[in-house]
Amino acid sequence: MYKEELMDHYRYPRNKQSLDHPDFSYDDNNPSCGDSIRIEGTIDHKKVTALGFSGSGCVISQATASMLTQACVGKTIDEIMALTKDDILAMIELQLGPTRLKCALISLHALQQGLMLYQQKNNPMKGKNE
Amino acid sequence: MSVFSKDGMSFKELKKDFPIFAHHQRSGRDLVYLDSAATTQKPQCVIEALTQFYTTTNANINRGLYDIAEAATQQYENARTTVACFINAADPCEIIFTKGATEGINFVAHAWAMEHLKPGNIILLSHAEHHANLLPWQWIAEKTGATLTFIPYDSTTGYLKDPAAYLTPSVKLVAIASDSNVVGQLWQDGQLEAFIEQAHTLGAKVLVDAAQSVVHRPLDVQQLNTDFLVFSGHKMLGPTGIGVLYIKKSLHNQTEPYQRGGSMIHSATYRGASWAQAPAKFEAGTPPIAGAIALASAIEYINKNINFNELHNHEVELCQALIKVLERHQEITIAGNINHIKKHGYMVSFAVKGIHHHDLAAYLGQQGIAVRAGHLCAQPFVASLGFQGLIRVSFGAYNTQRDVEAFSTALEAGINMLATTQHGSVDV
Repeated sequence: MYKEELMDHYRYPRNKQSLDHPDFSYDDNNPSCGDSIRIEGTIDHKKVTALGFSGSGCVISQATASMLTQACVGKTIDEIMALTKDDILAMIELQLGPTRLKCALISLHALQQGLMLYQQKNNPMKGKNE
Repeated sequence: MSVFSKDGMSFKELKKDFPIFAHHQRSGRDLVYLDSAATTQKPQCVIEALTQFYTTTNANINRGLYDIAEAATQQYENARTTVACFINAADPCEIIFTKGATEGINFVAHAWAMEHLKPGNIILLSHAEHHANLLPWQWIAEKTGATLTFIPYDSTTGYLKDPAAYLTPSVKLVAIASDSNVVGQLWQDGQLEAFIEQAHTLGAKVLVDAAQSVVHRPLDVQQLNTDFLVFSGHKMLGPTGIGVLYIKKSLHNQTEPYQRGGSMIHSATYRGASWAQAPAKFEAGTPPIAGAIALASAIEYINKNINFNELHNHEVELCQALIKVLERHQEITIAGNINHIKKHGYMVSFAVKGIHHHDLAAYLGQQGIAVRAGHLCAQPFVASLGFQGLIRVSFGAYNTQRDVEAFSTALEAGINMLATTQHGSVDV
């Protein structure tokens, strides 16, 4: 049903950790599924240097968080903000109906919201990383 | 045991009347449909009733002076009479066609409760209500100043816990499900009738949400003596978009129209209007004519083919077989009271420790097995039972032991595939 790589990320999640001094964090949840995700990260010169997540939920929500955090470490904020639904679906190699799309997108939403709040806090004046 | 008494047709043979099963068989994979509490499949006669209407007598009702308009009006009113007989209403004018149980409850909320409830009044519900019989009352409470009180569910018995104890003179409306869409039957035999009588003695009006029970047990509104009652056509072999609101005749004058528009006036001027008699008063606009006619066809199918006692035995046997399968898995917890379900059930809801309900339901879906998963539109109730979400297997007359066997095989494989012990990344 799911690709082996997805199941592997579900069984052995990467970056399922909390960071000591995160620059941003964001909690998101979907009460109708019971999926919850917290994503936190550190940033240096507009680049994401570390990410951690915690949460609970279905295979898709949890494995996607693991894959996404792995893929995004080292990317710039702008690169991550440009990611779309299609990038996530290509990453997890699944065609999803409307019911489960939210499960796949919850971690991207949390990550982008966290980064947006970080940018708002550190912009438009010269931020600490400018 | 599993034989219809009316024409000797077995439940297994019944599946033939529902073309969706043959369709999936032809396309190479049987449909194992275990989600009848969400919506039932439709027999051929219901599908044909829709086609027949649109092919032969499609016209608007209550106005055209030509043959097919009069035929359409006649068929629509005959449908009302068929429904009235089915639930033993005293008069067909007590049957109001809606688009479903949800609309029926919102109807009563707007057209009766909004006019009659005041601060200090109590609306009495149960903890086991579907959102359809909870959210409208939250809104009415907010608008009128009435408060909500809840009869608890008792999982040690499988019934509501001492419902009569919650009846006080402040209770002006009881809105209560006959059965839950999570755990099934909520009232002992005769208990709901006695409860309604007591509510009336104290001056309360009663609305019964019969959406779940209507296709499983006989319904007699005169015996129940309820004031309002709702159900949906699509959960009783009929099409979507049609439902029934029963309003007792003595309440017609104190119930406002839910909507205002065509077909429901006695006369109208630029400044005002007076209402026609019920049921027209309560059916503004063009109603779901074809839906009502097809619902009548569904009722005729039930009358002809389904003996409710036999159906009860059949569904209980399916529940017992299913529970046996579920009990083989230590990690499975069944919601509600198992003995109660074994005696009275037509659905079983459960959770699997360590596996998210959506993952398992999606896996079963891929194997051609249709079940419901989630909070089942009863989020507070599911949470109060101690679950984040559930998988629900629900039966209809067309289900067989083979369906339970197919479910059992797929469940086994699904659990093996999805079980995670190493990192415990799911806490469900």
